[in-house]
Amino acid sequence: MVFLVLAALTLYAAYRVATAHLITHAALFLAATFAGVAGVFFILEADFLAVVQLLLYAGAVMTVVVFAIMLSQMREAGDQPARWWTALRSPFFGLLPLVVSVALFVILTVVYAGVPWPVDAHAAAANSARLLAVPLFSAYALPFEVASVLLLAAMIGAIVLTRREEAER
Amino acid sequence: MTAGASGVPLLGFLVLAAALFCLGVFTALRRTNAIMILMGIELMLNAVNVNLVAFSRFVPHGAARGQVFALFVLAVAAAEAAVGLAMVIIVSRKRNAIDVQKINLMRG
Repeated sequence: MVFLVLAALTLYAAYRVATAHLITHAALFLAATFAGVAGVFFILEADFLAVVQLLLYAGAVMTVVVFAIMLSQMREAGDQPARWWTALRSPFFGLLPLVVSVALFVILTVVYAGVPWPVDAHAAAANSARLLAVPLFSAYALPFEVASVLLLAAMIGAIVLTRREEAER
Repeated sequence: MTAGASGVPLLGFLVLAAALFCLGVFTALRRTNAIMILMGIELMLNAVNVNLVAFSRFVPHGAARGQVFALFVLAVAAAEAAVGLAMVIIVSRKRNAIDVQKINLMRG
């Protein structure tokens, strides 16, 4: 029951991200979607990831998105159907995003329903942070270090890209 | 299929993730604003994370590997958001628009 309500809220927020007219509204609904996904993680007993999801997505990524909206000074979210005459001239291409995403959803659902998953509902342990930390720092220690280098590179890259050069003016 | 976390079967989470992913695809395809396209990509990455965490919860002998991979996806998504939005900002500074239909510098 909790799952159904949470899933409905998440999907509604994601739908509004796809359809909102103002980009700030889309950003707010995106934050709501991230919070909903964090709730789904809680239901899946992944408490650590749920909190990281809230901090990183609903906190950090949303801050970056809002700053980008502010600095780029765009208000409209930019719909393809805003230029309705293109959609009218070639109705197939106007409907293409809808057709592609609905078809993908139907295919995925049919495939998921057909596969006999090797499910064991009682597999999970209670302490999810410990469960996560042991493989992360033993078997996956190298990918973990690579991820930290990637984050450092992304940070430096973002600073270098957005720096205003004094020589320009 | 056995019911698991609070009575919800694995299929419920998978269908939710599929719907979230398709809404992300829909956003990325139908918007022309570069920031909105990045938001669509973030939605898709979130859907993938829901899938990974669900499998890690339901599939036996996984030892939380799905959660580890979800953590890596999270790190890559954060890096992608930082660099992508930095690129959006320089494009908007240079061309005064972030409409992907108008960014045609490399068109032959």
